[in-house]
Amino acid sequence: MSEILIKNAYVIDPISGVNGETMDIAIRDGRIVEDVGGGAEVIDARGALTLPGGIDSHTHICGTKVNFGRYMSPEDMRAGRTARHGYMHATSGYSVPTTYGNSYRYSRMGYTTLLEGAMAPLEARHTHEEFLYTPLQDTMANALFDGNWSILEAIRDGDTKRVAAIIGWFLTAVKGFAVKLTNPGGTEAWGWGKDVTCIHNPVPNFEVSPSEIITAVVKANEMLRLPHSVHLHCNNLGKPGNYTCTMGTLGLIPDLNKKRQTLYATHVQFHSYGGSGWSDFCSKSEPVANVVNMRPQIVIDMGQVMFGKTTTMTADGPMEFNLYRLHHDKWSNHDVELETGSGIIPVLYRRKNLVNAVMWAIGLELGLLVKDPWQCIMATDNPNGAPFVRYPEVIALLMSKKYRDEEFATVHPDTESRVPLPAIEREMDWYEIAVMTRAAQAKALGIVDIGKGHLGVGAEADVAIYPVRADEVDPAVDYRKVIEAFGKTEYTIKRGRVVSRRGECLVDGNNTTIWVKPKISEEYNMANDPDFIAKFDRYYTVRMSNYPVQDEYLKRNLCIETEAEL
Amino acid sequence: MMRVSLAVRPRKKPTIPIEAETITPASFLEGAEIQVWRGNRELPLDEVFAVTIEGAADRPEDVEIVLSGDTSRMKRVGEYMDAGRIVIDGDIGMHCGNFMSGGVIEIGGNADGWLGREMQGGTIICRGNAADYCAAGYRGGRKGMTGGTVEIFGNAGDFAAENLAGGTVIIHGNAGDMAGVELHDGTLIIKGDCRRPCGNMSGGVCVIYGIAYDMLPTFRKMGTEIRDGREFLSFTGDIANRGKGNLIVKDCTYQD
Repeated sequence: MSEILIKNAYVIDPISGVNGETMDIAIRDGRIVEDVGGGAEVIDARGALTLPGGIDSHTHICGTKVNFGRYMSPEDMRAGRTARHGYMHATSGYSVPTTYGNSYRYSRMGYTTLLEGAMAPLEARHTHEEFLYTPLQDTMANALFDGNWSILEAIRDGDTKRVAAIIGWFLTAVKGFAVKLTNPGGTEAWGWGKDVTCIHNPVPNFEVSPSEIITAVVKANEMLRLPHSVHLHCNNLGKPGNYTCTMGTLGLIPDLNKKRQTLYATHVQFHSYGGSGWSDFCSKSEPVANVVNMRPQIVIDMGQVMFGKTTTMTADGPMEFNLYRLHHDKWSNHDVELETGSGIIPVLYRRKNLVNAVMWAIGLELGLLVKDPWQCIMATDNPNGAPFVRYPEVIALLMSKKYRDEEFATVHPDTESRVPLPAIEREMDWYEIAVMTRAAQAKALGIVDIGKGHLGVGAEADVAIYPVRADEVDPAVDYRKVIEAFGKTEYTIKRGRVVSRRGECLVDGNNTTIWVKPKISEEYNMANDPDFIAKFDRYYTVRMSNYPVQDEYLKRNLCIETEAEL
Repeated sequence: MMRVSLAVRPRKKPTIPIEAETITPASFLEGAEIQVWRGNRELPLDEVFAVTIEGAADRPEDVEIVLSGDTSRMKRVGEYMDAGRIVIDGDIGMHCGNFMSGGVIEIGGNADGWLGREMQGGTIICRGNAADYCAAGYRGGRKGMTGGTVEIFGNAGDFAAENLAGGTVIIHGNAGDMAGVELHDGTLIIKGDCRRPCGNMSGGVCVIYGIAYDMLPTFRKMGTEIRDGREFLSFTGDIANRGKGNLIVKDCTYQD
């Protein structure tokens, strides 16, 4: 039995309704409890800002494309080397670090839970293997369903129940957590050298449109009663003028769930572009944010871009091909049989590049213009917009108009005429930042009930203590202190153990992989469905019996079982 | 002149690699204790080698290091070397002369893979054979060797001078498969035969004095030219990617 008592903590815990109270937090055996005995280890927080452990609800840290990002960029692997030290293994890499590099750097910033944004079901084993070596954060993975042939056919036939049954089978088989659609239909079209331009464009060979895919999968997701909503990367990413497509997509979504959103639209910055080409490229964050403000069933994440080097990686193969045609640098392209694809390109976002500067502004505008912080999550789509180690700067930009103005003065001079950012006065407070970096993620992912994202009694004891006095520091002025504080915790506590102290990781760690298993009636069990089996036999390179990820791939894991309406 | 003799002491397990990137002329000037890694253990240099130092020097140009004994598992010798001379009597392990920018490395025996990887300047001479990725770039890298000279008197393995972006590579024997693939700039000379040379070449020159087997069909024949009194075929390519390289071969075969 291990007990910890955190004294004099200045706690902000939005889910429990705590906003800046100095209190004690008692921990026993990895859970928050009412109180502990006199023998507990005492941590004196001395009034430092204490938040629930950080949650990243959209990051790319583990899996085949991440690893290929490492493989194709030796210059990136040379950029962030650290030697073995104490419990810490050697690490390398900046935008796509080694798994330990990801884990230590996230832990240093107080993050305790991560969602891998896109896992190709066929290649799930790789993701789970890397999860094993990401020891200081609980992990989960979105499984990709944007171009799954069986699902596209079920949608064409108008059989939403079958769509749900297939999703249920795959999620259980690959030990995934949620449903991801990446450029729905577009990646499948890319398998034939084509793309879809917007939601009403038909997908070749399947007679369905992206709008039909999105609507059907959203319904199926609710039928399966999954903890998280559909996680959508809209069509047409990165193209000037794509904001109309984004707004059309968000307009498709009904409000189907009382507890959480019905759609999580990810990295919306990349989908809020105006103009008809790169010459009149501009921000359309305002209309997109307005749609989000009017539709509580939508949650978005920023997909903030920060200037510097990074690596873009996505299942959106055609988009990466477009990027390749712009940059003519290294490019990786990959097809995943009857499921999806992917592409990878290293990029450098430059301040003096007008398009890059506008992108930078759009992310911040979305964060600031979406009124309810529960609806706009802070993320960079790591590493696509910027590596996650830049989060402290993003937080400071949201909190300080002064910092934004100073940065704005360094970007391309024409940016001003194309973005509304300079006119936005809003400065976020500590509470809003706590929402945007952990509480909103926990709610959106549907993991509050398993004790994530809050510090109420019974919650998982994931705590981050940042070396800053939130009641004394004015973040709008002293933004440097904000960056410093969010960059390195005083303590990061994971499941009741101090895992990181002032940037030094203190344990080997032992993370939990969270996955879902919808309970589906025998009638809808795809394992017995002749058509589904025939599809496997005919087209997959693996046999259906060998497809599911074996239990050995998950050491410590938590299965969330849901009662599907099937 | 400083002459450093490093004679490998007998090893119980001679297959365990030794990471010896600290063996460069510059590091012997600093006077600090030099460490090498054997497997996962860091050891002082004299636990692995019998070290004899004669004379003194105050600049790396005046330092000569002689390695003798079984050095076939010594990796990264001469990495980042910028001046001076390293003489290896026998075989040398992988990654010898990585990122080297000046000075001379002379290898009496064979070199293992990645000899002179991403080299920027200086000279490497290998009297024996070189294994795969000789004078190449690293996997995924944009550029390989950017300057200097690598001369191999024996044969080279596959992917010789891959991603070559400057400098000269001369192979007196045969080269393996994919020699000069992704060649951007610089010169690759192969005195013997090789297979499938210069795929996706974008610039630079490659001369093959033997037979280029399985030539890629994406090189356009430009004519013939005389070299050393013999007639060579001159190609440009790789036109699959609008490359403007020059591939000159004595003779070639295409796949059926």
